[in-house]
Amino acid sequence: MIDDELKVTTRQRDGIWIIDLEGDVTTFAEEAITGAYEGVTKEGAKYIIINSRQSDYINSAGIAILIGVVTEVNRQAQKLAISGLSPHFQKIFRMVGLAQYADIFATEEEAIAAMQRHQQAAVESAQ
Amino acid sequence: MAQTQATIELIFPSQLGYEKIAREAIGTLARNMGFDPERVEDLRTALSEACINAIEHGNQRQVQRRIHITCTISRNRLVLVISDEGLRFHPSQEIEAATIEQKLAGLASARGMGLMLIEQLVDECGFLPSRPGQGNRFRLAMYNPPRRHGSASA
Repeated sequence: MIDDELKVTTRQRDGIWIIDLEGDVTTFAEEAITGAYEGVTKEGAKYIIINSRQSDYINSAGIAILIGVVTEVNRQAQKLAISGLSPHFQKIFRMVGLAQYADIFATEEEAIAAMQRHQQAAVESAQ
Repeated sequence: MAQTQATIELIFPSQLGYEKIAREAIGTLARNMGFDPERVEDLRTALSEACINAIEHGNQRQVQRRIHITCTISRNRLVLVISDEGLRFHPSQEIEAATIEQKLAGLASARGMGLMLIEQLVDECGFLPSRPGQGNRFRLAMYNPPRRHGSASA
C-alpha cells in the first residue's frame, strides 16, 4: 500500500538523452535514477534531461539523489536539465539551490530547445 | 467548517511511505479550510519532511515505534505537532543545513535539507521543549491568510 513506485525509462531525442521519471521520487528511487544516469553516460550522453512526468511526490531524499547526479554531471562535463516539475517543485528545487546547477524547465519541449542551443553553441565555439 | 477549534490525530508506524497518507489527509483538510493551492502544497511538503525526520532520526526507522500527528484547526490557523518516541534528541540548532556547494563538493551529506525546507514553507516551526528520551515534538503552523516566519509557540 505504501510502497513507492517509480518507473524510470531512458530514450534519445535529437542527440539528447532523456531520463523519464514516473512516480514518487524518494529515498527508494536511488538505484533506479542512478542506474539510468550511469546507463546513458555509458552510451556517451553529453546532454541529459531528467523529465518528471507524473511525480506528485518528491521529497528531500529524492532531491538528494538528484544532487548526486548533478555532482557526477559536473565531473563528467555533461549538461543537465530538469523538466516537467510542477510549479511547487520548481520552487522547492530553487529553495535547495539545485536550480543553480541544473536548468529547470516546465516542459520537455523547452528543455530540448535549450539543450539544442547549448549544442549549437558548442559546435560554433569548436569551429 | 472549523468555526471552533477541533483536533484530529493520526498515528502510524515508523516506516517511510506512511508520511504520504498523512500529507494526503492534512492536505485535504487545508483545502477544505480555504488555503490556496500553493499553500496546501507547501504544507504537504513541510509535513512530509517533518514525518521523515521523525521516522529516520527520532525513531531510527524502528517500525514498531509510532509517529503521532496532532492537528489542531481553528478559523484561520492549522497547527501540526509531529511527535516521535525520541530515540535521538533533536536540538533546535539542527535547523542549520549545509549549502548546495558543500553537498556537491562532497563536504556534506546530500541529505539534511528537510528542516531548512520546512522553515521556508510554513509560517511557524520549531521543536517544542522535551527532554532526551521523552520524544521529540516538532510543531508547525500555517495561517490563512499567511503570517510568515513568526516565532514558534505552543
